[in-house]
Amino acid sequence: MSDQDQPDRDDRVLAGEYTLGLLSAEDAAAFEARMVREPELRTLYAQWAEDFAGLTDDITPQAPPARVWQQIEAGLFGTRERGSWLRRLTLWGGGIAAAAVLVLAVFLPDLVERGPVPPVDPPYVAQIAAEDGSLVVQAVYDDATGTLFVDREAGGAAPGRALELWLIAGEDAPVSLGVMPQYAQAVLRVADDLRGRVAGAVLAISDEPEGGSPTGAPTGDVLAVGPVQES
Amino acid sequence: MTTRADIENLIARVAQGDRAAFKALYGATSAKLFGVTLRVLNDRAEAEEVLQEIYVKVWHNADRYTVNGLSPMTWLITIARNSAVDRLRKLRRAETPAELEERIADDGAGPEALAVAASERGRLVACFEELAAKHAEAVRRAYLEGETYADLAARFDVPLNTMRTWLRRSLLSLRECLTR
Repeated sequence: MSDQDQPDRDDRVLAGEYTLGLLSAEDAAAFEARMVREPELRTLYAQWAEDFAGLTDDITPQAPPARVWQQIEAGLFGTRERGSWLRRLTLWGGGIAAAAVLVLAVFLPDLVERGPVPPVDPPYVAQIAAEDGSLVVQAVYDDATGTLFVDREAGGAAPGRALELWLIAGEDAPVSLGVMPQYAQAVLRVADDLRGRVAGAVLAISDEPEGGSPTGAPTGDVLAVGPVQES
Repeated sequence: MTTRADIENLIARVAQGDRAAFKALYGATSAKLFGVTLRVLNDRAEAEEVLQEIYVKVWHNADRYTVNGLSPMTWLITIARNSAVDRLRKLRRAETPAELEERIADDGAGPEALAVAASERGRLVACFEELAAKHAEAVRRAYLEGETYADLAARFDVPLNTMRTWLRRSLLSLRECLTR
């Protein structure tokens, strides 16, 4: 059978699909494993990478703002004070009005210890759940006080990892509402300027390093999502 | 103008932990890579953040550059493109079906893709031109927009398996043309 009839069995094609990122995670891993052993496959990959890089030839170079280099240096060499949470937010918040980015979502330890008491008749609720039910968090939101009660019913952070809660309002970049504490139930205080944006937004939970995303935006897999709905 | 040899030399020094070389490499290449991340992500804040990730990867992986057989700019562009596409796909994962519809309807096809082709280097242009227009666009979108088989099938309104066949045949034709 010729290549034309079964192009998908051709390593040249497979290498092209790998370079474009079209393979499933499993197939990509298998391809990488083969590349370690097979120099011909590395050559095929290198050819595609060179050719496709040509597609960027006419992209106009654009000088990045100075803060990008400052952040790289700070992150790698600690030559500036450790990037504060606030500064990271302002960095990635970019286009969003600075005020809107200053989210103060704080877990209140005293409430957590007492056990938070959600309102009897909450205006908004959300079920933030993984498709397979491996993580389920019920959330109740009171827009009058900007209080978000979360109750983790199933699942939790992997060892050495953290769960981080994000607010995704409309087209905007996700805004962190904080790292989920180890307790199943907790209260988050949503900043005043975000209070009105929770209704109709989507809440999402991502897998992050301990202490939360180092970049201010989700870096790990999104594990669970759920829309905020009127109760 | 920084030559290929200059960039190779800088990467070699970065592999030794030379911070001055790292700064020089950033100076010589960050505008190109920022252009690429902006092109893929179409969002300055996201592109800035991904650019940071890219140079962190460059710092940590510079010692592996010499074994991969890529030219230095291709190595950097590939890291940039892949990092930007990873971010884009993460952002898209949060999309609702309605948002997906809207995105695919909105960022309509041809004119820009054609403009991209017009100024590419000759051999590549000629080989893309040998493909059916739709097929060439699908390959371009996979690279520059990070679109998956599922995205492309939805965009061109064909079954997933048809899309795979189109794209695999296109890759084969391209490879045969490019090595002719």
